Amino acid sequence: MKNKLEKDIEDVFGMFKEDLHLQRLRQEWDRHFDVDDYRILPLGDSALLISFGEVIDDEVNARVHAVARAIEGEDFEWLVEVVPAYSSLAVIFDPLKATFEEVKRAVEPLLDVSAETFKGRKIEIPILYGGEYGPDIEFIAEYNGLSVDDVIEIHSGKTYRVHFLGFLPGFAYLSPVDERIATPRLERPRLKVPAGSVGIAGRQTGIYPIESPGGWRLIGRTPLKLFDPKRDPPTLLQPGDEVRFVPIDEEEFWEIHKAEWEG
Amino acid sequence: MIELLSVPSLLTVQDAGRTGYRKLGVPVSGFMDDFSARIANYLVGNPGDFPLLEFLLTGPKLRFNASAVFAVVGDVEVKLDGTPIEPWMSHWAKRGDILEVGTLRSGLYGYIAFAGGIKCERLLGSCSAYPRAGLGRPLKTSDRLSVGHVILTGKEGRFLPRKLRPDYSSNKVEVRVVLGPDLDHFTQDGIETFLSSTYTVTPESDRMGYRLEGPVIEHSEKGPDIVTGPLIPGSVQVPGSGRPIVMMKDAQTTGGYAKIATVITADLPVLAQSRPGTEVSFRRVTPQEAREILKRREKTLEAIREFLDGKLRAYSVRALGKDFILFAGKI
Repeated sequence: MKNKLEKDIEDVFGMFKEDLHLQRLRQEWDRHFDVDDYRILPLGDSALLISFGEVIDDEVNARVHAVARAIEGEDFEWLVEVVPAYSSLAVIFDPLKATFEEVKRAVEPLLDVSAETFKGRKIEIPILYGGEYGPDIEFIAEYNGLSVDDVIEIHSGKTYRVHFLGFLPGFAYLSPVDERIATPRLERPRLKVPAGSVGIAGRQTGIYPIESPGGWRLIGRTPLKLFDPKRDPPTLLQPGDEVRFVPIDEEEFWEIHKAEWEG
Repeated sequence: MIELLSVPSLLTVQDAGRTGYRKLGVPVSGFMDDFSARIANYLVGNPGDFPLLEFLLTGPKLRFNASAVFAVVGDVEVKLDGTPIEPWMSHWAKRGDILEVGTLRSGLYGYIAFAGGIKCERLLGSCSAYPRAGLGRPLKTSDRLSVGHVILTGKEGRFLPRKLRPDYSSNKVEVRVVLGPDLDHFTQDGIETFLSSTYTVTPESDRMGYRLEGPVIEHSEKGPDIVTGPLIPGSVQVPGSGRPIVMMKDAQTTGGYAKIATVITADLPVLAQSRPGTEVSFRRVTPQEAREILKRREKTLEAIREFLDGKLRAYSVRALGKDFILFAGKI
C-alpha cells in the first residue's frame, strides 16, 4: 500500500505523464522508495543532487562526505566541485564536457563507499560564555528551567561533529545540541551579530565566522578567526571535524583575540 | 594606473568567479552577466575570464594615468575627454584622458574591460569581490587600479555591431528552467502556478538573489522548509510566503527552502539584467535541452571572439522574413 508521501509525489508527477524527462525523475523517486536509499536529480544544467533522504544524522552525513571524497578522488574532467550538506551533496560539473546522464552514471558506482574511512580532526574552540558576548544565555537557561552554569556545562560537555559548511564562508553546521538546551530562534533577527558569536537555534548550534545579520540565540563568543581568506585552508573548521567548546575567561579571550586578529 | 574620480553606484572587480571553495561556504561570485562581460574582454583582446569592472546602473568617472585600451559594454552613453564615444568598441586612452560612463538605458549591469585585465590580489583563486567575507570590497572614489602589461597596438578599434549585442530593453522576459529538485514540497497546482504565471522583479534584489512578486506558489504538506541542502546560482527557492527567490552569483552555498526549479546557465544573464518591475515568466526545459542551448550560446560567443580578433567576418542576412547573422572565415 502506498503511503501518503508516495501518493503526493504521484500527484505532483501525474501531470507530466507524457514527458519523458519527468518520467525519468519519477522513476528516480520510485527507485528511492522501493529499492535504493538514494536519489539523483538534476540541479539545473550544471549540477546534480545526490540525496540520502531528508535527515540530520551523523551516519548519513559521514556517508555524504565519504561519497564527496570518492568523487573528488576520481579524475573526472567535467568535475568543477562538490558541495556536501547534511544528507545530500551537489556535484557541480561543466555542462559542456558531460551530460547529466553521464555524470549520474559516473557517480552512481561511488555511492556505496564505506563511511567509516572518514575521520575528522579534533578541534577545541575556546569560548567566553554569557555577558555581552552571549546576551541570550540567561534566556536559554530560563526557557529550559536551568541555571546559566547548567547551560554552559551542557553546551561544553559534548563533542560536536561538523556536518558541513554553508550559509556564510566558514559557517559550520554542527551536530545537534543536547535537547535540554534547545531554544527557538529570536523572533526578530539581530542586524549585526559579531564575528565569533556562538548561537543556538532549535537544536542547532554554530559559530558566526564573520559579522552578519542573524537570528540565533547567542550563548557566547570565541576569539578564534573562523574564516580568513589569506590562510590556506581559509576556514578553521572542515567538514567531519570533531569540535569541543572549552570555556575561557575574559582575560584569556582578549589574549587569544589579539593573537588571532592582530598577529 | 587608473584613478577613480567618482563612483556613483556599486562598482566591483569581477572575473569568472571563485570555484573550489563552495564546500567551505564561499560563494562563486563573478560576472552577473557573463555574456556581456566576456564580450567586454574579447573587445580588448583578453581571454573571457579576465578581471574587469562591473557597475550597477551608473558607471564611474575615471582618469587614465598611463595609456590603455578599454571598452565599455552596456546600453550607455560614454565620453572620453568630453567627446562621446561608442560603447561595445575598444578605444585607446592616453595619459591624462578622462572617461565618463553614464547611466544604462536598459539592463542593470555594465562592464568596463581593459587590455591586460585589472591587476588585483587573487583571494582563493579569484579577483571577484565578495565584500561580506572580506574578499575584495566595493571600489570608491580615489581608488587606484593597475592594468596588466600588454601590447596595446591592434587592440583598439574593435567594434561589435548592434545586431550582435544582447538586448536587455524588454520589460518582459522568459527565463528557462529545469524543474526540481524539491518538487515533492510543492503541490501540482503550485508547480502549475509557477510555470504559468508572470512574476515581477522587486527592488529587494541584489547580487545574492532576486526576489520576485506574483501569485503564491502552493507548497505540499511537506511545507517550505527542507533539511538544509546545496544551492547554486539559478536555484529558485520558495519560502513560506510562496514568492520565488532566484539565487544569483553571490548566493549562499546552501539553503533551507524548497527549490522548485533552477534557471539554466544560458538564461542567468537575462535575469541578472532584468530591472525591478520587469515581468518574468518561466518555461520548463530538460537538462539536455538546457545543455544544447548553452552549447549554441558558447558557439556564438566563440564566433564573436573570432570576429573581434579579425578571424571571421559577420554578415547580416535576411531570409524567410527573419534576420540572421552569418559568420564566415577564409575559404
